[in-house]
Amino acid sequence: MESGQHMLRTGRRGTLFEFSMALRDLVTSYHRRGLAWSLAWHDVVSRYRGSILGPFWITISMGLMVLGIGLLYAKLFGISVAEFMPYVAMGIVFFGLMAGTINEGCDTFVQASSMLSQTSLPMFTFIWRTVLRNLINLAHHAVIIVGVILFFGLWRVMDVFPALGGLLLTIVNLAWISMLVAIASARFRDIPQFVMSVMQFAIFMTPVFWKPDAFPDRHAFLTLNPFYHMLTTIRAPLLGQEADGLSYVVLAIMAVLGWALTFSVFAITRRRIVHFL
Amino acid sequence: MTEVSIKVTDLTLRFPVYGVDAKSLKKNLARVTVGGRLSSSQTGATEVTALSHLNLNLRAGDRLGLIGHNGSGKTTLLRALSGAYEPDEGQIEVRGRIAALLDLSLGIDPSATGVDNIRLRGRIAGMSSKEIEDKMDEIAEFSGLGPFLAMPMKTYSAGMQARLAFAVATAVEADVLLMDEWISVGDADFQKLAHRRLLNLVERAGILVLSSHDAGLLRLYCNKVMRLEGGVASEVKDIRRLDELLAAA
Ligand SMILES: Nc1ncnc2c1ncn2[C@@H]1O[C@H](COP(=O)(O)OP(=O)(O)OP(=O)(O)O)[C@@H](O)[C@H]1O
Ligand SMILES: [Mg+2]
Repeated sequence: MESGQHMLRTGRRGTLFEFSMALRDLVTSYHRRGLAWSLAWHDVVSRYRGSILGPFWITISMGLMVLGIGLLYAKLFGISVAEFMPYVAMGIVFFGLMAGTINEGCDTFVQASSMLSQTSLPMFTFIWRTVLRNLINLAHHAVIIVGVILFFGLWRVMDVFPALGGLLLTIVNLAWISMLVAIASARFRDIPQFVMSVMQFAIFMTPVFWKPDAFPDRHAFLTLNPFYHMLTTIRAPLLGQEADGLSYVVLAIMAVLGWALTFSVFAITRRRIVHFL
Repeated sequence: MTEVSIKVTDLTLRFPVYGVDAKSLKKNLARVTVGGRLSSSQTGATEVTALSHLNLNLRAGDRLGLIGHNGSGKTTLLRALSGAYEPDEGQIEVRGRIAALLDLSLGIDPSATGVDNIRLRGRIAGMSSKEIEDKMDEIAEFSGLGPFLAMPMKTYSAGMQARLAFAVATAVEADVLLMDEWISVGDADFQKLAHRRLLNLVERAGILVLSSHDAGLLRLYCNKVMRLEGGVASEVKDIRRLDELLAAA
């Protein structure tokens, strides 16, 4: 029904109808995926316009952090640099993806308010824009990962496929979290501050900089932290270890439940989101 | 090919306003000439009724002018026609590809060059990358901006921005063109070009809906006119009866 040729908007209500409209938004955003990609790419280009290194500046600052923390903590905790540096490098880069996608999610609709209030663009387009922008950034920071993998010879032990599976599950989860905070932030302007605090807290509560060896396996402190599961399913295989199967299961369940929740919230609030802005 | 048409039936559109104390508004609810009607919904939230029970039928070749006081709902109607708002009641149906020129700065990145902005805006308007590259020369020529296209948009004057926005928006093979006010921004040369382009569009059996406070402009472009008052629409009348509608104020 929805195409470039035919636009229909009705005051019809009903739960089923709202869900079908939400689904239509999603489908349209898929048909216009090139737009989300263009917008994301434009965001990255424009943020770093006039800068020679562009997004690599963040890569460099991350790289310095990896070096500093890698060397310092290895010394403090008495772990070998070869063991700790790749661990921290991957921790920082992948946690960066999580924090970025979720924090920037808060701005997704607020930033797009002028476009949302005068075009019929699907709202999902802007969710994908945020997610894709963060993936583009990740692609830049991947230099660090490749660096440590080569330098510390991890390519001999690493297992790429489980890591990619972990990354995929992580992205699927980040996308719904990003969308949920996008809707919430549009309505309640305290949410971005709240989300930022949570993410700051999470970086210390998640084994990004430290090793969870002090905890017995599957300690509640870890298993209740979704970021732990995201990080470990990507990082462990790259370090040549095996991630706990439970983490994959948790992520899969979280993805299904999270999307069900987010999609329902979207279906219910969709017609009002533009008025929140 | 589907027939180009706009069909609006019994459209009511309310803006819920969040974060406003409804009580403090109550005292000021006396009738005013400006703006839609303010009210409190059952839940106590403040609402602005921007359009109420509006009916509109347009067919190919119709060029409708919208007139009305500030806040009478002209922009809201144009935005609703572009598909941005879900009606609270009623239905909006538009057949044909829509090009909306409501806000000049839509999707414009001031620090990006004119060419980049053409690409960006074109993408937002629904053109594919290939379509945009194919039309780039034509758009560039029509905008008349020449070497300025390689300059950041923030160095443009309002009229130059209007030229660029207009050039991109009308480059889309659109059947329905929605325009708010600003066409008067350009200089005489540009107005002449824009005029020809608009007439061309309408000749291709399109529909134009233009909101303006300028009677001359309306006479120039439109063959029909409708007056909005506090979100309530008058009948659609022939443009020759514009004076009548204006006098009814
Ligand atoms: N985003 C919004 N939130 C709340 N109220 C709004 C919003 N946009 C418009 N309104 C209200 O809707 C009514 C109609 O506004 P609209 O912008 O459509 O008027 P207009 O006819 O275009 O006026 P103008 O001639 O000044 O351009 C006004 O009362 C305005 O206050
Ligand atoms: Mg207006």
